Amino acid sequence: MKFLGYVLRNTARNPIRSTLTIASVAISLFLMTMLVTYLAINNEVRGTVKAYNRIITMSSQGFAQPVPIAEVARIGAMEGIEAASPLLWYGGKYQEETLAFAQFGIDGDTIFKIYDEYSIPPDQLKSFQQDRSGCVIGRKLSAERNLKIGDRIPLKGDIYPFDMNLTVRAIYDGPENRDLRACWFHWEYLEEGLKRDFKGKGAGNAGAVVAKCEDGDSIPSLCKKIDTLSLNSDSPTRTQSEEAFLKMFSEFAGDLRVLIRNVGLAVVFSLLCVSGNAMAMALRERTREVAVLRAIGFGKLLILFLVLAESVFVAVLGGVVGSIGSKFLFDFFDVSRYSAGFLPFFYVSWTTALAGLAVAATIGLLSGIVPAALAVRNSVIDGLRKVV
Amino acid sequence: MSKTHAIQLNRVAKEYRRDTFRVPVLAELDLDVDEGEFLALMGPSGSGKTTLLNLIAGLDRPTSGEIWIRGQELSQLTDSELTRWRADNIGFIFQLYNLIPVLTAFENVELPLLLTSLSRKRRRDQVRTALRVVGLSDREDHYPRQLSGGQEQRVAIARAIVTDPYLIVADEPTGDLDRASAEDILDLLEQLNREFQKTIVMVTHDPHAAERAGRLLKLDKGRLVDDASKSRLGAVS
Ligand SMILES: Nc1ncnc2c1ncn2[C@@H]1O[C@H](COP(=O)(O)OP(=O)(O)OP(=O)(O)O)[C@@H](O)[C@H]1O
Ligand SMILES: [Mg+2]
Repeated sequence: MKFLGYVLRNTARNPIRSTLTIASVAISLFLMTMLVTYLAINNEVRGTVKAYNRIITMSSQGFAQPVPIAEVARIGAMEGIEAASPLLWYGGKYQEETLAFAQFGIDGDTIFKIYDEYSIPPDQLKSFQQDRSGCVIGRKLSAERNLKIGDRIPLKGDIYPFDMNLTVRAIYDGPENRDLRACWFHWEYLEEGLKRDFKGKGAGNAGAVVAKCEDGDSIPSLCKKIDTLSLNSDSPTRTQSEEAFLKMFSEFAGDLRVLIRNVGLAVVFSLLCVSGNAMAMALRERTREVAVLRAIGFGKLLILFLVLAESVFVAVLGGVVGSIGSKFLFDFFDVSRYSAGFLPFFYVSWTTALAGLAVAATIGLLSGIVPAALAVRNSVIDGLRKVV
Repeated sequence: MSKTHAIQLNRVAKEYRRDTFRVPVLAELDLDVDEGEFLALMGPSGSGKTTLLNLIAGLDRPTSGEIWIRGQELSQLTDSELTRWRADNIGFIFQLYNLIPVLTAFENVELPLLLTSLSRKRRRDQVRTALRVVGLSDREDHYPRQLSGGQEQRVAIARAIVTDPYLIVADEPTGDLDRASAEDILDLLEQLNREFQKTIVMVTHDPHAAERAGRLLKLDKGRLVDDASKSRLGAVS
């Protein structure tokens, strides 16, 4: 492409302006890529949990409200339920990290029946079940923090006053799309500590109840049954499938998707303005030059093409930095380990990254059209007369 | 027919329309220029020299009348054909050189060749030849800002001749240059005319420059005042 040199030189004419345009495209696309990826991952994870037939019971008042521990036994005894366990978010600090990894108080006898997609060596499970202050951690957590069996995990209570001193007794593994960074400890260990040292403050709370159903078809009726039974108690519950629960959790009642789409459109529009304005300014400075090119025989279409190539090039450069850059950044640097279990993994798929690039190219094309059309519409002789 | 007319203007008129009223610039102009002639156009500011040059070069269209260049009547061509025609037939030299600042001397000269289907190697050969003619072989990698005004104008001339155009038009090519540089440019134009038999039309304010041309015409208020046959300046002086 023999005009490539000229197009490239043009983008380098005003490095500050080009850099600013590239940066604004890059930053916007970086953020968009992240949001879209977040939604995509949640979608993906949610799609896979359906097969496990799990339901989660929480307080109808929301997360912060307790669910009495008696609910676990009640739900576990129901027909159609295979097993139930408390699922208590401890939220402790590990060393200096506030949001270190997810820590849940669970029932060591049932939890691996409920999460049966996880694998755990039987001898390790046994030694966990026999140690009150023992814990099970995920393979990734073990690898990333170099925590081995027998290592101590001191956790400083944040929600609860009781500090825990756990010992790793087992390491579980499982499919990549599950949280392999969780730390599960015996619910009773915390309970006893609270009763012993803090007069039972915060005790008796299951947090939530997770249960495995015998078959998926019965989930709606089971959820309804559980909630109906607790309706007139002091702590009414809200039960839903794990899938629905995750959706609620990740999307703040589903508005996030719409919000992201609208924000995305607004971002694209403002990028059009930014990049279009930069291009218009660039061409304004080149009025005379465009006239000279036309005089020596460059056709309107060719000029149009050169201008569009320039604006597409700048925008695509921004897209490469923002979109492809975010892909490589997150490939290299897995932020999911800092998400405290909210995200089992975080990587930008090629589909998302290339879609970002396509958005950038489209922005370049659209933003170049108006300035380009105006530039070729100018009369050649007026352009030549113009003294800049 | 003994000789082809390079340029033939028949009753050419040009007026600019500004809102409702009209500004007549050229009125009923006839002109013949032979192939290989070096014509200088003089006249007071605003007399229509640039306008006339633009018409001859196919940059603008007359309000009425015919313009024949090398046997082609320009009004027969559509806008895009006219653009193509300029690329093939006209070499432009401007007062303000009008080089592209982000391109080197070599690349500036190469620009018109990018519109042709010549191979990279052929283009390079032609650019080198053109730069050699204007004496700037050693400056091909320089950017316009690294050149003096006279050198810039020589690069512009190289750009104008690189496609071996039929006609060279120059609008005050020495208007922005000092005496010595201006002489260089005029030498070059003379050489192009004499050695390469290029037909040249040059607008100038400078009587010195006009002397170098084979023929001088004066334009006043849109009319050619000197009769073409009587103004063989070279013969007079
Ligand atoms: N686009 C235009 N619209 C209206 N009037 C114009 C336009 N271009 C030129 N004119 C007028 O046409 C007349 C001739 O202009 P032209 O540029 O041809 O003169 P010139 O002889 O080249 O002058 P100079 O020596 O100053 O370059 C002037 O009166 C000018 O104001
Ligand atoms: Mg003029």
